Amino acid sequence: MTVTLFTVLFVAAGLTAVGAFIAAWKRELTAALTGLPVMFAGAGVAFVGVARFGATSGAPLLGQEVAVLLAITAFAAVGLGVGLAGRESSR
Amino acid sequence: MDSLHAIGFYVSAALAGVGGILLAFLHGHWHRGLALGAVGLGVAGIYASLSAGFAAIVVLVCYIGCALLVARPDYRTIEQAAAGLWRQIGAVGAALLLVGLAYAAFRGRFAHATFYDGPFNTMTVARLLFAHDALATEAVAGVVLAALVGAAIAWRRERPRDEREGRR
Repeated sequence: MTVTLFTVLFVAAGLTAVGAFIAAWKRELTAALTGLPVMFAGAGVAFVGVARFGATSGAPLLGQEVAVLLAITAFAAVGLGVGLAGRESSR
Repeated sequence: MDSLHAIGFYVSAALAGVGGILLAFLHGHWHRGLALGAVGLGVAGIYASLSAGFAAIVVLVCYIGCALLVARPDYRTIEQAAAGLWRQIGAVGAALLLVGLAYAAFRGRFAHATFYDGPFNTMTVARLLFAHDALATEAVAGVVLAALVGAAIAWRRERPRDEREGRR
């Protein structure tokens, strides 16, 4: 049992597609917003996989850096979305 | 990569995938928060098995934060105006995206390199973040600041409940 770049990219493709499906399928806007971190996770997995298996020159851990920035951006996006949805009155 | 890391990768990938599918089909704030937490745990496991320990910790913290935000019971439920046909077209588009990306991964001829760094790489990633790509880090910091300030300002005002909503 081993892991190759193809395996990693296939998992990344699956996560990206599931995130896109959530964003398209959910009727509720804040629920659709949760597709965004899943898509970002797919992109991050692809970047980390390339940094692990395929980076031959330059900064080899650039993919890990991009994955860190993507995770922080996903958190900011979800925070902004929930904040914009607003607090519900207690009525 | 040894067998232990490979098993960790596949288990984490399955957890992230199942979490994503549950996120798509579960209803209720609390359930969605749990599913998003499972996605974060799975992605952190994937990163850890790919020798990206620092990225795994950051992802875990950020996605648990996302899960706690999504699991809050007191934000408003807003329904989309898009009709069912457009949602079905979007779902088909997501399936086509999966096919396209999987085909690109299958047919791609990628360079193979030997990985020499350690399992955690905090110093190297920190050097990249704060020296090599400082502008990108500052841009993301600006995005986070603007998003959190905007969210805090928008959150202060209470809004009436949406009458069409299907609740929790």
